[in-house]
Amino acid sequence: MDRTRTHVLVCTGGGCIASGALEVSAALTRSVAERGLDSEVKIVETGCLGPCAVGPVAVVYPDGVFYQGIKPEDCEEIAEQHLLKGRVVQRLMSKEHSGDRIPGLQDIEFFKKQVKIVLRNCGVIDPMKISEYVARDGYQALAKALTEMNPEQVCKEVLRSGLRGRGGAGFATGLKWEFARKAPGDVKYVLCNGDEGDPGAFMDRSVLEGDPHSVIEGMAIAAYAVGAAEGFAYVRAEYPLAVQRLEHALGQARETGLLGKNILGTDFSFDMEIRMGSGAFVCGEETALMTSIEGKRGEPRPRPPFPAVKGLWGKPSLLNNVETYANIAPVILKGADWYAQYGTEKSRGTKVFALAGAVAKPGLVEVPIGVQLGEIIYDIGGGIPGGKKFKAAQVGGPSGGCIPKHHLNVPVDYESLNELGAIMGSGGLVVMDEDSCMVDVARFFLDFVQDESCGKCPPCRIGTKRMLEIVTRICEGKGEEGDIERLEELGRAIQDTALCGLGQTAPNPVLSTIRHFRHEYEDHIRHKRCEAGACSALVHSPCQNGCPAGVNIPGFLSLVGEKRYNEAIRLHRQNNPFVSVCARVCFHPCETKCRRETLDQPVSIRAVKRFMAEQEKAFVLPEVRENEANARRRIGIVGAGPAGLSCAFFLARLGYRPTIFEAGSRPGGMLVQTIPTYRLPRNEVEWEIRMIEQMGVSIHTGKRLGRDFSLSGLRDEGYEAVFLGIGCPEGMPLGIPGDDAEGVLDALRFLTAFNLSGTREVGRRVAVVGGGNAAIDAARTALRLGAETVTIVYRRTRAQMPAWEEEIRAAKEEGVILETLLSPVAVVLKDGVVEGLQCRRQALGDYDASGRRRPVARKDSDFVLPCEQVITAVGQKTDFDAILGDTRVERDKYGQIVSDRQTGRTSIPWLFIGGDAATGAASVVEAVAGGERAAAGIDAMLTGTSHAFWRRPEVVDTYFDPDAEPVGYPRAEVPVLQPKQRSRNFQEVELSWSEAVAVREARRCLRCDYGKGETGKQSVENEEAVTVV
Amino acid sequence: MGNENITACACQEDVPLEELLTRVDPVIEQYRQKPGGLIPALQIVQGIIGYLPEEAIKRIASGFGKSFSEVAGVVGFYSFFSTTPRGRHVIRVCLGTACYVRGAGQVLEAIKRNLQIDVGETTKDRIFSLEVARCFGACGLAPAIMVDEDVHHRVKPSRVGDIFERYRLRRNGGEAVIMAERSAAL
Amino acid sequence: MKKLESAEDLLKFRDRSRAEIDLREGSKDILLTVHMGTCGIAAGARDVLATIVEELGAAGISRAGVQQTGCVGLCDQEPMLTVTDKSGAFFRYGRLDRAKTREIILNHVLRGTVVNEYLIKD
Repeated sequence: MDRTRTHVLVCTGGGCIASGALEVSAALTRSVAERGLDSEVKIVETGCLGPCAVGPVAVVYPDGVFYQGIKPEDCEEIAEQHLLKGRVVQRLMSKEHSGDRIPGLQDIEFFKKQVKIVLRNCGVIDPMKISEYVARDGYQALAKALTEMNPEQVCKEVLRSGLRGRGGAGFATGLKWEFARKAPGDVKYVLCNGDEGDPGAFMDRSVLEGDPHSVIEGMAIAAYAVGAAEGFAYVRAEYPLAVQRLEHALGQARETGLLGKNILGTDFSFDMEIRMGSGAFVCGEETALMTSIEGKRGEPRPRPPFPAVKGLWGKPSLLNNVETYANIAPVILKGADWYAQYGTEKSRGTKVFALAGAVAKPGLVEVPIGVQLGEIIYDIGGGIPGGKKFKAAQVGGPSGGCIPKHHLNVPVDYESLNELGAIMGSGGLVVMDEDSCMVDVARFFLDFVQDESCGKCPPCRIGTKRMLEIVTRICEGKGEEGDIERLEELGRAIQDTALCGLGQTAPNPVLSTIRHFRHEYEDHIRHKRCEAGACSALVHSPCQNGCPAGVNIPGFLSLVGEKRYNEAIRLHRQNNPFVSVCARVCFHPCETKCRRETLDQPVSIRAVKRFMAEQEKAFVLPEVRENEANARRRIGIVGAGPAGLSCAFFLARLGYRPTIFEAGSRPGGMLVQTIPTYRLPRNEVEWEIRMIEQMGVSIHTGKRLGRDFSLSGLRDEGYEAVFLGIGCPEGMPLGIPGDDAEGVLDALRFLTAFNLSGTREVGRRVAVVGGGNAAIDAARTALRLGAETVTIVYRRTRAQMPAWEEEIRAAKEEGVILETLLSPVAVVLKDGVVEGLQCRRQALGDYDASGRRRPVARKDSDFVLPCEQVITAVGQKTDFDAILGDTRVERDKYGQIVSDRQTGRTSIPWLFIGGDAATGAASVVEAVAGGERAAAGIDAMLTGTSHAFWRRPEVVDTYFDPDAEPVGYPRAEVPVLQPKQRSRNFQEVELSWSEAVAVREARRCLRCDYGKGETGKQSVENEEAVTVV
Repeated sequence: MGNENITACACQEDVPLEELLTRVDPVIEQYRQKPGGLIPALQIVQGIIGYLPEEAIKRIASGFGKSFSEVAGVVGFYSFFSTTPRGRHVIRVCLGTACYVRGAGQVLEAIKRNLQIDVGETTKDRIFSLEVARCFGACGLAPAIMVDEDVHHRVKPSRVGDIFERYRLRRNGGEAVIMAERSAAL
Repeated sequence: MKKLESAEDLLKFRDRSRAEIDLREGSKDILLTVHMGTCGIAAGARDVLATIVEELGAAGISRAGVQQTGCVGLCDQEPMLTVTDKSGAFFRYGRLDRAKTREIILNHVLRGTVVNEYLIKD
């Protein structure tokens, strides 16, 4: 027979195996066997326990002792001291982990931060057996109340506990009980609201299903306290299992005499029955619920009189919801003081939240009131799945509101949520990621309340209908200026005049989204754009909508699927000239939007593009409209990076002949200066720049604005418009002692020096500070230039690094060391020469405005990372003062030039800006989009109308059968050079696909654009104005 | 209280309506004296007949001593009650918040396309009726749909046909299909 | 059963229930808990429970106890099975089906080897 008393979980995750976990496991097994403990102690090899950096690690259960850095020779000691004699081996315990429990198997992160009072028995006992409830002190609170307390004392105890109603508004439960107790009348009722109608809330269901007796006991105590003998539980018809289990529990309670006459031999008698709801949301409102129990249409009535005075059948009635009742027994049994230790000053105890939506671990969580919203979503819920970004948390259902990321540190309590325009409500917490459109979400809730409005009062019935009409119009791209203000006005009017709580709170979802996401409403109304890609009338396909440049992705994929490569390239160049460049460096936001992900994995769009680009044998030009009048006009473009080149490209397609001035010795900007050649071979850049030149664009190199020419000078020479695409080329200093020493340099300089001259000295040991793409580029380049070790030092966590995941992974494969939660504090110098970087360990603190946890320095954690060279990549800026000269243009408080989001036009009518110079360091495809917008803006400024014909959606004539099953192939992998073959040279890392693979991958596209020919990003105002020569 | 009647299968097509209506009387008898007994009575009658035809409402009204319009008003107020016959299997698509943000809209569209019916309608062969629901509390498994009493979770739009096929077959092939499913699962 | 007529009766009932549970569990080395809430059932908890009963019966194992409870809150991992052994250590398995359940019975219950692959991890 198995007599195991102790489990030792030895982590055999990848990290620990690498540091020798298998040897440790074997040694431990041996040591245990030698002592004859093998029948009592079981060694279990488990998956990764988390703290890989201190591996090999092991946890001993049931003690929960955590050992780290174990060597095989330590196993004798563990077996002898701990497993045989029960003495913990202190020297192997982690300082950090010895005090608190670590997330092991018993205690995974999901459960760790929870405090279970309401859910104390859920998932633990068999809900069909009253004996199991009783075994865990069930009904002891009832016994205590009946035998040791009078009704007044019970009410006082509940009041003193600070418990507030868990159904919505958070009224003090004890006070409510006191009112009902004092109300005159022989017949009184206690009622339980189990009509859990808020979409996204399911804690009441779970309690009724998992621990029905806790509700019965709570109601019986309430009945004793207020002087009632009869009760009703009103439960939704949509919860058949809950009804069935509660019914069963009622039967058992009656059988054992816990319901019925003279309970436990006292004078107190109480019984109750279930009433099923019939699918009317409004019946969750207390007066409506009572009308419904009476057998009538469940319409609310005005208060006062309050139910405590005049409720069910005109009698004093006490109504609480399921969760509130489930709290009662512990409050009475363990006392108000015990209960009040949880929660905040004004909101005591715990609250159950139904965590759902875009979160890795949805489920029911019970936490002390007042924990931060971010803790629930990230620490318990595991954050946002699929690498997507958090956008908002919807709290409180249709009466609640949406909370944006910069409020993730809000303590979740009644008052704090109200301040943000949300409510605690029943505790539904739906997490939304970047794919949720806030206007669409507001429409969803309006549709809900409009549908569920009982129709009794006009503000709710008609007002929400008007609001729904307006919001629907906005979602369909027919919004008008003034709509937002109209919604706000209507919303306030409904709040003030609706009859019941549901009506009064109905506008909350709209008002809160307007408050926190006004720009999304404006985008829909002014620019007919839905960034999230949720409003189908504004979205051609999710991928195209997600592409900053708006490339017709399903179009070119389907053309590649039919091997029509030139047409595919031409279609791509309708919106983005850089087929080959983007095929190599684009961070492909399109793929994260790809709907194929719901089936298996996204289409490998960028890799298909790479194959497509390889098929270009002669320049494939998109439509160019010659125009003699335009050709005579002079347009200057400053900077030959992706933004400037793209602006020139689109201008050339309208017949202009712009001139580009480039400060560097060759055109390309970041494409040739900083992006390493192992990612982007230079001949690819040159090819596409030559194509643009051939379209009538002239490029002058070696011309620096502010040194060789000025903006006013260009005007004097007759330039009618100027585009600034000067990028963001200045690195920010570290701002720590020693950062001006020789041997400390910024990543952009380091990369540029190497990329343009072909050589650059590196130190033997290099430290790179920063977590963005520039840091990764610098680190991988330093490695290739011969550095022995390259360490990236980043102050936040790996998951928070702004660099692209695949780049980080590639760097690590090549041997770059990643040190996260580490912040440099000083450059250590000896005789002026860099000797190391003094670093301080960081821990994660509160959520900051970016929705990420802020790094906080840990005490006494400084150490020196030895290195001969420090490369910094902690931010980039543009030195506008140096380039603007005497030109005055509106700047914001950070010194950035203010420009129109749709055209890039600045406060000077002839001056436009785009790319990194306008946005701060961003990406190639965003720069392309910025250049395109400015080109359209410049043309509109010069001619008075827009001629951006390429924005007109193009329907491709490829074959597609909408009824056919999608092809079943999984996403094809992109072949790469192995780390050993690539980490010391500059050969392109990614390799090509064969035609068969590329065509097959292209055909995985689900064609979300199908049937959407008429909709597009933006219409051209006056197509005919274009004179085609 | 006899809740099992409410959730009982409504597939009584072979029994004539007249016959079913006679089963209504004992229900009326049981609930007419009970305070607030009208709604439970309606729930059970709908469970017996599958919907609430005019004749049934009339019978209940007179049994409870209420006017037809008062009872009809109650029936009309609650979405659970239906006055038209429904299909053998009722499909409910959850449009609760959690399901909605996880793509329930696309699931609904796919179902409409698959069955060629709109919400509130029944297929020509009277096998499926389509309804939308506001959250049945399976938010952790969103998007969810309910076919009769079965909750199907994490439904993918491209796979709705497979789900319905099982119910369709169950009607024709009965046991054989269930056995086949079992053996496939083994 | 006889109705409880006093608070003392309830205390006795509690102690009796505890003793019964201890006795029942005392004869068992291992307790298998299936979480049968709506979400669990929707995800296939009935299949898991049926498999456990079938397999334990087929293997003639009586030292394992089987228990049904409500939802434990981790809906995403349903259907779930919690295996608790005598030392009090418990192991939560998630996203199960018939085949995985069978594997757990075979390896964890019969041979005492934790099936790492199906454990719920952070």
